[in-house]
Amino acid sequence: MSALEIKHLFGLQGVSKHDIRMILDNAKQFREILERPVKKVPSLRGMTIVNLFFENSTRTRTSFELAEKRLSADTVNFTSGNSSVKKGETLVDTLRNIESMKIDIVVVRHKGTGVPKFLADNSKAIIVNAGDGAHEHPTQALLDMLTIEEKLGTLEGKNVTIIGDIRHSRVARSNLWGMTTMGAHVTLCGPSTLVPRNTSLMDHVTWEPDVKKAVKDADAIIALRLQKERMDDALLPSMREYRNTFGITNELLEYAKDKVLIMHPGPINRGVELDSEIADGEHSVILDQVTNGVAVRMAVLFLLAGGRANENA
Amino acid sequence: MRMRKEIPLVNLVLKNAKFWNGNSFEPRGEIRLDAQNGFVAGSNKFETKEIDCKGALVMPALFGLGLDFMEPLRDDVYTFADGFDAMHRGGFYGGLYESAANPIDDADTLSAMNHRLDSQASNRFDIKFLGAFSKGFGSDSLAEMVELADGEDSERGGVVGFGDGNAAIPHSRFLRLAMEYGKMTGKRFFFQPMDKTLRKSGCVHEGAYSDMLGMKGIPRIAETIAAYTVLETARFLNVPVHFKQVTCGETLELVRNARKQGMDVTCDVNLYHLLLDDSCLELLDSAYHMLPPIRSAEDRDALWAGIVDGTVDAVSVNHTPVLRQDTEVNFEDSVPGALSLEIALPAIWKELSARVGEARAVDLLSTAPAKLVGASVAFDESANKVANLVVLDPNKPHKVVEADFAGHVCNSPLLGKELPSSIVGSYISGVWTEG
Repeated sequence: MSALEIKHLFGLQGVSKHDIRMILDNAKQFREILERPVKKVPSLRGMTIVNLFFENSTRTRTSFELAEKRLSADTVNFTSGNSSVKKGETLVDTLRNIESMKIDIVVVRHKGTGVPKFLADNSKAIIVNAGDGAHEHPTQALLDMLTIEEKLGTLEGKNVTIIGDIRHSRVARSNLWGMTTMGAHVTLCGPSTLVPRNTSLMDHVTWEPDVKKAVKDADAIIALRLQKERMDDALLPSMREYRNTFGITNELLEYAKDKVLIMHPGPINRGVELDSEIADGEHSVILDQVTNGVAVRMAVLFLLAGGRANENA
Repeated sequence: MRMRKEIPLVNLVLKNAKFWNGNSFEPRGEIRLDAQNGFVAGSNKFETKEIDCKGALVMPALFGLGLDFMEPLRDDVYTFADGFDAMHRGGFYGGLYESAANPIDDADTLSAMNHRLDSQASNRFDIKFLGAFSKGFGSDSLAEMVELADGEDSERGGVVGFGDGNAAIPHSRFLRLAMEYGKMTGKRFFFQPMDKTLRKSGCVHEGAYSDMLGMKGIPRIAETIAAYTVLETARFLNVPVHFKQVTCGETLELVRNARKQGMDVTCDVNLYHLLLDDSCLELLDSAYHMLPPIRSAEDRDALWAGIVDGTVDAVSVNHTPVLRQDTEVNFEDSVPGALSLEIALPAIWKELSARVGEARAVDLLSTAPAKLVGASVAFDESANKVANLVVLDPNKPHKVVEADFAGHVCNSPLLGKELPSSIVGSYISGVWTEG
């Protein structure tokens, strides 16, 4: 098995099928390890990873932290709330200070598009994007892909429908790049004020404004979290109308395939983008996504660090 | 500050040059220039310097629209001395100065700016001031436009027009009142049209790349709706207007239509909007952060079409120094703007002259912007006055390095890039500076 072509993980746009395949295959091995009584491997022993989170995050940071600990890395959490960033320190200075502490890998989340690349341009550390603005959230997409492969065997030829606030979603962007690279067909659906205004993204996917048609041939449906501030910004009239028009309900699933997978990046707004009986029902693979998140992040960190899972497993 | 080799007040002998005769470049074996009397030989005690131009072009020095050297409020960023150094390096003899850091909104401020400018030892440039039409830019209180236009206590005179930088107009009623009041002065109003609600927190062109990158965009209609509002108000009040840094063909179409109806409307296009398109956003480099934003390739083509058909009156520079720490952040958090004085001519000359011919290119960079604000021309071969000129080798590439820029900032998307031409030197008010 050759090494990854990428040196950092900024996003999935432009990442080769070879690299995505390698990450998913490694993640499957780590997934097996996570089922063992002893879940820890020594793969990254001696390496130091900093989780540099400039935005609030519980799930993603915890998932990364757990992945790092399962790989035996030393981890440090750095959040903007308790850092000198609030005192006016520039991003570069923050990074250089952290780097002086001999950090090997930086996992970063930031509200600004391109921050991971900016950090890579100014640092020797390996950079992993844990979400940059509305740009990309590659490990979320990778765990989504792993979950679909786990349940359906392959992504090749599968129909994946993403419903919701596409315009502001880094999850949607990473998924459409990653899934189309792996041979899936992606359909986007959402209110016209929450989908991309231009056609650039549409070259790669299908845009279907009618949610019933959008779910009809889907093998998997990803419902995106709806931020409540969209209502304040006049992008939507009400949660109620959104739920009735684009929410995943039992009524909507009557138009979908019998074994369609229901996915969500979390946290869920129950009764808005997803009804509770769907989130907890037979189609839902949301908790599998969470478990796969740890495995995928282990694979990403391990492979970027230059190792091979099967040597250490 | 890295100062260039500067030889104060010399008479100049330019050899083997192609000289601009007002219509075209003609080979001349020798051009003799007097430091104080230009092309008319005088007698003075200054040394004479001989330059072998090796076939380079000798053309009128440039006039820059959109200068702000930040002093005094932000002299930690940039100073008049830095700006004058940049002008000389880039071959500019004058420019329209619009102070965003220190809006010139009353007579005292104008007086202070004039005093500060005149006290600069290196000031040999023809600087015209643009006054604010609102107090502090973007407010709904009128600036002292009559006194600003009058400018009694300065040899430089009053402001040549009114503009509020890139601040949005607070509301249409104030726009009407500002024009209505300012009309008394007979001066032109300058606008960078941008509807603030349509811009909101946008920082890049709203288009394919903003969608791809998930960045908040500024749609073309933010510009066109604001421009239309300005034009309708100007038509109603019969006030001359100028649009700064037009970014799209739709605004140029509004200008064309307004002119057809007899309105006095002028406009300029920023250098960088002609050189770049929004595919540069893929680099996620804050050096490309501009306001108004760099738009699509289609928009860039429309701007060039406006240059070719004469809709665009001038190519502007909008020289904006930004501190290094304000660029050492992610794109959206960076301060927009770019330096341009030092590199404008070698960056744009070849493409501009190829598209519109040398005569129109000289006009767009020098004569037309000067005429727009009532400044004198760079030189007049028949007159007994100072000649301001720049010598450009159009075929000698130049890689842009930090040392090319004056002051201690170097924010330009062209840093590290190779320009198709290079400046041999410039001769401004009898002072020669090598490129």
